[in-house]
Amino acid sequence: MKSLIFRGRLFLTGLHTYRFTAAVLTRCERTNRSHGEQHDCCPQTSLTGGTLEFDPRALIYFSRSSRLLHTSATTPKMSEQSRNSWIKKDDPKLVSAKQKDFFVDMLDDRRHASDFHYSTRVRDVTTYKYNKPRSPKDIKDHVMQSDRVKYAVEKVMEESGLPLEEVMKQTQAILDEMAHNLRIGVIRCFAFFLVKVMKKLFQRIYINEEGVQKVRSLLKEYPILLMPSHRSYLDFLLMSYVFYEFDLPLPVIAAAMDFMGMRFFGWLLRNSGAFYIRRSFGDDMLYWAVFTEYIQTQICNGDSPVEFFVEGTRSRTSKSYAPKFGMLSAALEPYFKAQVPDIMIVPVSISYDKILEEKLYAYELLGVPKPKESASGLFKARNILKEDFGNVHIYLGEPVSIRQYSVTGNLDRSVHSLAPRYIVSLSDQEQHLIRHLSYDMVIQQQKHMVISPFAMIAAVLLQNREGIHLRNLVREVEWLKRQSSNLGAYIDWPVSETPETVLRASVSHHGNIVQITADDMVELIVEDPTITSNQDKLMTSGAQQLMLCLYKNQLMHIFVDVAMIAISINSCAQDTLHIEELKKHYKFLERLLNIDFIFLPGNTDKDFEQAMLVLTHTCGVVVENSHVQIRKSTNKYTTFFSQMFDPFLLGYWIMCRCLKSMQTGAHGKPLAKPPKVITKEAQNLSATLLRMGAFKHMEVLSLDMMNNGLQSLYHMGAVQKDKREGNTYMYPNEVVLSQIMDELSKFVDVPNIPATSINVETKTVVINAKL
Amino acid sequence: METKINIEARECGAENDPPTIPKRRQELLKWNGWGYSDSKFIVNKDKHVEFTGERYQLSGHTMPQLRDWMMNTIGINLDHRTPAQPSFTAADTPTPIKNESFIMDMRRTGISLSDDCQDRLFRAHGHTLHEIFVLREGRFDRIPDLVIWPTCHNDVVKIVELACRHNVVIIPFGGGTSVSSALECPANETRMIVSLDTSQMNKILWVDDKNMTAHCEAGIIGQDLERWLAKKGFCTGHEPDSMEFSSLGGWVATRASGMKKNIYGNIEDLIVHIKFVTPLGVMEKNCQVPRISSGPDIHHFMMGSEGILGVVTEVTMKIRPLPECKKYGSIVFPDFESGVKCLREIAKQRCAPASIRLMDNEQFQFGHALKPESGTIFSSFVDGLKKFYITKIKGFDPHTLAVATLLFEGKKQEVAAMEKRVYEIASKFGGLAAGAENGERGYMLTFVIAYLRDLGFDYYIVAESFETSVPWDRCLELCKNVKDRLHRECKERGIQFPPYITCRVTQTYDAGACVYFYFGFNYRGISNPVQVYEDIENCAREEILANGGSISHHHGVGKIRKRYLRQTVGDVGLGTLRAIKEYLDPHNIFGANNCMVGDPEDDRKVHNVPKKAFPQSKL
Ligand SMILES: Cc1cc2nc3c(=O)[nH]c(=O)nc-3n(C[C@H](O)[C@H](O)[C@H](O)COP(=O)(O)OP(=O)(O)OC[C@H]3O[C@@H](n4cnc5c(N)ncnc54)[C@H](O)[C@@H]3O)c2cc1C
Repeated sequence: MKSLIFRGRLFLTGLHTYRFTAAVLTRCERTNRSHGEQHDCCPQTSLTGGTLEFDPRALIYFSRSSRLLHTSATTPKMSEQSRNSWIKKDDPKLVSAKQKDFFVDMLDDRRHASDFHYSTRVRDVTTYKYNKPRSPKDIKDHVMQSDRVKYAVEKVMEESGLPLEEVMKQTQAILDEMAHNLRIGVIRCFAFFLVKVMKKLFQRIYINEEGVQKVRSLLKEYPILLMPSHRSYLDFLLMSYVFYEFDLPLPVIAAAMDFMGMRFFGWLLRNSGAFYIRRSFGDDMLYWAVFTEYIQTQICNGDSPVEFFVEGTRSRTSKSYAPKFGMLSAALEPYFKAQVPDIMIVPVSISYDKILEEKLYAYELLGVPKPKESASGLFKARNILKEDFGNVHIYLGEPVSIRQYSVTGNLDRSVHSLAPRYIVSLSDQEQHLIRHLSYDMVIQQQKHMVISPFAMIAAVLLQNREGIHLRNLVREVEWLKRQSSNLGAYIDWPVSETPETVLRASVSHHGNIVQITADDMVELIVEDPTITSNQDKLMTSGAQQLMLCLYKNQLMHIFVDVAMIAISINSCAQDTLHIEELKKHYKFLERLLNIDFIFLPGNTDKDFEQAMLVLTHTCGVVVENSHVQIRKSTNKYTTFFSQMFDPFLLGYWIMCRCLKSMQTGAHGKPLAKPPKVITKEAQNLSATLLRMGAFKHMEVLSLDMMNNGLQSLYHMGAVQKDKREGNTYMYPNEVVLSQIMDELSKFVDVPNIPATSINVETKTVVINAKL
Repeated sequence: METKINIEARECGAENDPPTIPKRRQELLKWNGWGYSDSKFIVNKDKHVEFTGERYQLSGHTMPQLRDWMMNTIGINLDHRTPAQPSFTAADTPTPIKNESFIMDMRRTGISLSDDCQDRLFRAHGHTLHEIFVLREGRFDRIPDLVIWPTCHNDVVKIVELACRHNVVIIPFGGGTSVSSALECPANETRMIVSLDTSQMNKILWVDDKNMTAHCEAGIIGQDLERWLAKKGFCTGHEPDSMEFSSLGGWVATRASGMKKNIYGNIEDLIVHIKFVTPLGVMEKNCQVPRISSGPDIHHFMMGSEGILGVVTEVTMKIRPLPECKKYGSIVFPDFESGVKCLREIAKQRCAPASIRLMDNEQFQFGHALKPESGTIFSSFVDGLKKFYITKIKGFDPHTLAVATLLFEGKKQEVAAMEKRVYEIASKFGGLAAGAENGERGYMLTFVIAYLRDLGFDYYIVAESFETSVPWDRCLELCKNVKDRLHRECKERGIQFPPYITCRVTQTYDAGACVYFYFGFNYRGISNPVQVYEDIENCAREEILANGGSISHHHGVGKIRKRYLRQTVGDVGLGTLRAIKEYLDPHNIFGANNCMVGDPEDDRKVHNVPKKAFPQSKL
């Protein structure tokens, strides 16, 4: 997108003069073709209490000017269009579906040509300039003979007393289990098969071609790391598909072991470039050595782009998971140890209209045992190939050079000069940098996620759980759409259709979760009709709601910053709130939400300021003399935003409550329990409270949320950890825990349960409401 | 703090042969470029490159391929010239600062001195890119105010004593071949600066064939030392590429390294004894022994002292009988990597010949372009090489191959045995013997390149070399990464022509190697080429350090690499070095501010070439 640098002084509400920064403008500018008419419906329609003094003209002004720069992407108005002969189809509403903004549909060509041809065509791929061609077997041989592995083997022999052959056998076994076997023959078959599946599953697969070109030009110069978001199994199939389609070298992909178990599918993946990494290998020296060498040699020689998921695993919630650092550290180490001139990291955002595994995820979150993933489970079950999964958007983000990224950190790579490179480990500074980079990459992924209309429907519906009339839904969604794009989100909205049509289509597309009744009420389908067995009703309807949450969650990262401010404004009992006080709340909430949401480490102050700017400029929050005027600022915006996050605060509170009631042992110290047990108990408490009707947010049934809450509490010092026989046990720190609970209950309405009356030991939590 | 001076003066010995380079250097040497005035590359009337004079093998020859090479590799256009300013006159030199009482006392000693502006200018610089560029395009803000020519140790003692008494700065000057800006006068120095030119202290005082040592005055230059020793059947074997001009004292003061160090050793291996005049007095050992355990070795304060602690006046050096047999050789490798592996193996087996160097492909191509027209001494070789290509090297890609050049020395049988062993090892790494001439020409390249740079200057080229030492396991990647960095920095800074970047491994050791880079680019379209060059070289140095390389293998720190010293030796190390300086020279009489003295940024503004702000590296 062109950056519209444009600083204007604008007069907004009454006497306040604001300076619009470029950042805010870029966001306005990002309002793409999808909201041509957005400024016609002013926010006034949905004001609460009429306190908002916000002049929507400001926004219109910016949208117009940016629209001029985007004539190609926007629909030209009749009057603006000249009527000469080169116009082929004189229909301003006609929009090419193959070409959409910076996206292009990859399937379009495939639908008009032979798949066989496609899979057998000559591929002219670029390779890294220092690459020495190697086969997968050569790579394995290299690993076995590498200094790093030899060193580890020696160490293991010393420690275990095992003979060389035995340790080498173990090493070979690890490597065999791990290594890929990328073969072009298999790839071609795979491509043939894959394109057929893709055409069946999806209407369109959009890709930003410019991103592809960037990758292509970098491939020759530097080793490449691909870092896609991870929402579905399909992620890596799609990535390989993109690389095949555009004649790029196929990536090798770090996959989790779960796949390996699948007979044919596991084989197929391995032969098309997947390599398998155990989920955790702690301090298994051999494994570390093989793993590190295996990754690094492929990076150093630039054999293939290396792809991995920084979130570690598929996000079951459609929210980004907090990044894992191990893989990235291993992959970037060759740069810090000066084995390669640079490494390019490409964040990739893959957004789905509809997620293949939505139901699976919902049950996983509830803790219903995960069915073993099998090829048939993945592709046959529920007649998936007959279902329509809408569009996929793949956005290859701006490549990041680790060299440039580390310039500001002033890293001294010469610290690695004092020992052989296969022994020394990364410096604290470098680890810190990698941590920061990981978060940055996840944020980049989020930034280029494409928001589907259904995400907004879900968000509105979850605040209107009894159902909402289609007319109101349209209004609310349009409002939300505007807020989202003001905050920089890219929304996939077919401009040629009326909003109502869009919503109807979207709802019917997700007909398993939501429905429109005869009198145009849109509502959640509380009971899954496909379930026949007499399962726990709470859980089955919980699953329905969690599926809806899955889509609502697409939006959450956009609003989390403003919401953390909105929450304190909305829950404030005084008339005014000092900015510093507000910031304190903000920091508290950020720490609390730190696992469930992604914040760039060390950026809190800036994030806060940015969010304040947005709230004061476009959401009617009023600040006078460094004090937020609560009455004036409590409005539709702040209310909606903070309600979006209510379930999380409530969930954390429940977790606290559960921890609080953990029994005290003989020495007056609470009995420690494994985190899994604690989360399960907290879930039980949620269930009980839901049954009692204490609240309606079924999202609190999510084990994921409970676990994230627990981890946050641990980081905040409210929970402590013990290692016992290699396993983690946790127990509360009463003082800190109580403080956090007090804080929490200021921000969200919590059920009133007497402190001593819960017994979490028994399977079902009994609450004896004595009062 | 008061300086106690207890230097005892003695009379000087008798006159010896006069040095090859006269006191008035300008009579023989170029004033704004490298080497002898009569020897230079020119583009002749046929538009071919020719080397003038009669001194060198190449002299009087044209090199038909060189012009095209320059045009194709580095974008020279014969129509776009950048000739140097015509001459430096008194008006271009800053007026000397005069400490009259010092001058009066100096005159009384009868030691030769001069304040002639040419004499002063000649001693104001070494041969870094920016120094030569200043000579061609600008002027120095500060040059020595007086040149003094002591003729013996005692003269030096007197000069140092007077300088201390009158608070005058001394900068020792040997051959003026410094490539670290060590000779440059600090721009902000307000005291009188004296250049102490050692060139008249050029005697071999005695030769001891029992212990195989020679005792020489420090101003003797390499070519004279070897020539005169050869008359007696000896040599030191110390041959830095600058040996025609550089001096024994300079070698000590910079920790120099000679091409044939594998047999004879580097300067630190060759030194038996040093006489060193400091402001506190003379520092020397009382014996001339092969090894001593007397605490930290005081020689190591003198070696690498870069003119900031005192003056080296006399040195006892090891000598060897002249070798019976001297033979060049060369090996072609399919690529640089296999070459490095081979050198590593040769080092491991400790069977390296007197010299072994590995040139990368770019340098090999360059060497090729230096071929003189046929009908010369080289013709047989050219034909041989061609045949060689078609037959043997078939299968070698001329765009990836690398060449090692070899120099064997010793008794005939020794050389034969050594050759056999080296070529055997080479063949294990895919190397093929490629003839003696090829090798000889490789060595010639390193001598002529300094002359060639001057030609480049006439055509918008700025170029320079830099070097480092690196452990074996990081050698290859260092070469690759530094080149990559250079290319990238050039691109980043909008240099419009492809830069010329090449390296060679020039020395092998048990634990690592010395790597030498040439880097030059065509600066048409760039307003401040020297600044750009320096910025890029600094990036390259950062990259070197990140790759496990060192601040320098033999060029020294001087002023241009000061900023890397702290990182190199650490805070404590730097403090220790500074303490030595503080003790020996508390008033900074040896005030060239090199190495550990002062802040790296202090001496930046020494030259006066029109400057424009240029972006710092973002990489
Ligand atoms: C083309 C070329 C090739 C080169 N090749 C090599 C090479 O192969 N190996 C190598 O090691 N170097 C090489 N050099 C670098 C240079 O020749 C060495 O640093 C050499 O040792 C400098 O000697 P010099 O007599 O010219 O000293 P100068 O340049 O005059 O001085 C260098 C430094 O030493 C100090 N100094 C000089 N004499 C004395 C003294 N008597 N007492 C105390 N301090 C003194 C000076 O003050 C100054 O700081 C090369 C340089 C050039 C231009």
